[in-house]
Amino acid sequence: MSEMWINMGPQHPMTHGLWNLRVRIDGERILDVDPEMGYLHRGIEKISEDRHYNEVITLMDRTCYVAGIAWEHLYVQAAEKALGIAPTERSDWIRMMSEEFQRLASHIMWYAAFVQDLGLMSPFLYGMRDRDLILDLFQSYTGGRLTYEYMRVGGVRNDVPEGFTHRAREVLDWLEPRFVEYDRLCMGSDIFRRRCDDLGVLKANDCVRLGVTGPMLRSAGSKRDLRKDRPYSRYSQVEFDVATADSADVTGRYLVRMEEMRQSVRILRQVLDWLDSHPGPVLADHLPRWLGAPYAPIGREAYLLKRNYPKGVGLSAIEEPHGEACAYVVNEGGEHPYRVKFRSPVFANLSAAHHYLVGYHVADIPPIMGSVDVCVGEVDR
Amino acid sequence: MSTPGPAVASVAKPAAAVVGPGGELPIVSSDVSFVEIETLRSREFIPEAKEALSALVKEQAEGKLIRPVFNWAGRNSLFPLHWGLACCAIEFAAAFGARWDAERFGVVPRSSPRQCDLLIVNGTVTWKVAHKLIALYEQMPEPKWVIAMGNCATGGGPFRTAYSVVPGVDKLVPVDVYIAGCPPRPEALLDGILRLEALIRERGA
Amino acid sequence: MNPEDVRTKLAAAGAPGIISIEPFEGVAARVKFDPTAATALFPIVRDALGFPHLSMVGGIDWVERYEVFYLVWSDPAKTYLLLSADLDAKAPHIETASACWPSANWHEREAWELVGIQFDHHPDLRHLLMPDGYQFHPLQRAFKLHEPEDLEVKVRHV
Repeated sequence: MSEMWINMGPQHPMTHGLWNLRVRIDGERILDVDPEMGYLHRGIEKISEDRHYNEVITLMDRTCYVAGIAWEHLYVQAAEKALGIAPTERSDWIRMMSEEFQRLASHIMWYAAFVQDLGLMSPFLYGMRDRDLILDLFQSYTGGRLTYEYMRVGGVRNDVPEGFTHRAREVLDWLEPRFVEYDRLCMGSDIFRRRCDDLGVLKANDCVRLGVTGPMLRSAGSKRDLRKDRPYSRYSQVEFDVATADSADVTGRYLVRMEEMRQSVRILRQVLDWLDSHPGPVLADHLPRWLGAPYAPIGREAYLLKRNYPKGVGLSAIEEPHGEACAYVVNEGGEHPYRVKFRSPVFANLSAAHHYLVGYHVADIPPIMGSVDVCVGEVDR
Repeated sequence: MSTPGPAVASVAKPAAAVVGPGGELPIVSSDVSFVEIETLRSREFIPEAKEALSALVKEQAEGKLIRPVFNWAGRNSLFPLHWGLACCAIEFAAAFGARWDAERFGVVPRSSPRQCDLLIVNGTVTWKVAHKLIALYEQMPEPKWVIAMGNCATGGGPFRTAYSVVPGVDKLVPVDVYIAGCPPRPEALLDGILRLEALIRERGA
Repeated sequence: MNPEDVRTKLAAAGAPGIISIEPFEGVAARVKFDPTAATALFPIVRDALGFPHLSMVGGIDWVERYEVFYLVWSDPAKTYLLLSADLDAKAPHIETASACWPSANWHEREAWELVGIQFDHHPDLRHLLMPDGYQFHPLQRAFKLHEPEDLEVKVRHV
């Protein structure tokens, strides 16, 4: 049979966003793939050069719209290092809590979208139902469902409201039995296993060579998790295990994400206990007005108050729900960052698409690409 | 916004097919359960349906088309294109989740533009994707509508100054309803869809 | 791993073109190197120092020069290492790292496209994010953003 190139995207049910997977096929077999990105390139790194340090946080939410607060966390850490500011202790714990809630929300969103790609509708409905509970919690202390603008250089905008930890524990109590339900829906289904087992295999040494991180790497048996290996925030003070699998396939990535959600719940319970017993300020003192005003960071006077910080470069790396994310912020003394550069985990995971797609069939593309958990916003930035 | 000329022509065929070759009225009036469900949804349905049916009888007697019935049916079963651009697509998906369940308004996303009559632009449109968006819009059969969901689709949003972003999708395709928000909540999306329904009722399919 | 360790290991492996090794917050060290020595240095960093994972490649336009930096990660040492090289402002170019770290492929395509750094012998240096034929390098300092004009887009409907 003759070979041909087909386009899957930019409008295709498989893509979950704006990108185009060009596939060369011979009959049903995949011979070559070429992801075509950039349909959502919004110039976030360039716009950041025209913004105040705190204004960039607005863009971070939109960079990865399923894990917005994790990207805020990534950026504020780098900006704090570039400016030489330390966050308060309580705000650091609140940031860690936010990141773990975001990991839960992101993984549940992944579960909903991924299983729907396989043709099962009910997990989508269950997943969206449970994700909305987490978004309600976010809304109660940040005011937003997807885009929070919550973190600030030097802390967070406001403390969690009264009764929040109680409500959060109720949500966690609700969620934990749901994971059993998810597992019964998927791992208990023979059809699911037949569509996912031994698909999209990428071994650990290939992952390292190709820059693949996150659940894809851990599903191949590696234990690399920046929360453990290079503890940032307060991750060294909580107990959790790194979820791994050894099959390196789609099922393995599913199992890793499910276990990560259980571990997130475990972390969150410890964080909530800490928050209950340790009140304190959530924004650092002695910030200049253009950085410190919690509710009105963007104003005319902010531009007039020139306060030069010593020059510096900040680098931070977090374990984002999709993998290893890095930020590199260059401070040249002005109110705007001189250069902001981000490393998106999905960017690297997608660049290796050739290695986990070639040799499989066209019908295997939705499960494989679903297991990568593509968020195009952070790939294109 | 549909161009007037071809819209009428493409309306004619399915509407005539509903009437059937015999010229009788095989329309919903006998289907009681269907009417009851619809009553729950829209209080103005019964007088409106009566009006539509009487217009149907009249027009049928005159040998004309049944525009009101088609208008009523069309606006209550808007099929948006299943296409996620950016952040708003996540709220678009949430609107079809368990809590908001947009499908109770007859809104069912379809994956092929040839099955759709509603293009919800749920995110930032870049110059790179602009011609693909126009191609998708062109493939949708008339009558068709466009909702610009969120600030990016409305006017570029926070990325307005960026070198790669179209400052508003109305530069490319005609927009019927704009929804503000960054991103709009699912309630806002549902409100936008209901406003579009009202617009179709006023303006005609 | 601290800057002294990096210095000892690099010297033991006979790494060429090292300009300076300085401490840097959050990473083992920042190694400044001569871009002409890149071909020889990258495999030494990967194999002798044990940094097989390349996290990112980025470029910075300093107006009077360009900088390209590489962030690499070591699993056993559990630390990052930052490599950076200064490039000529007129024709910034450096040997590709994708022969050593295949993951550099897309990162270098992006840096070429947005910052304008040429990567010699790159296997596939074409546009990644912007459309083919895009003439500018947006992340250069000379490229300024501005409010969009009241533009009229001519759409030819077929």
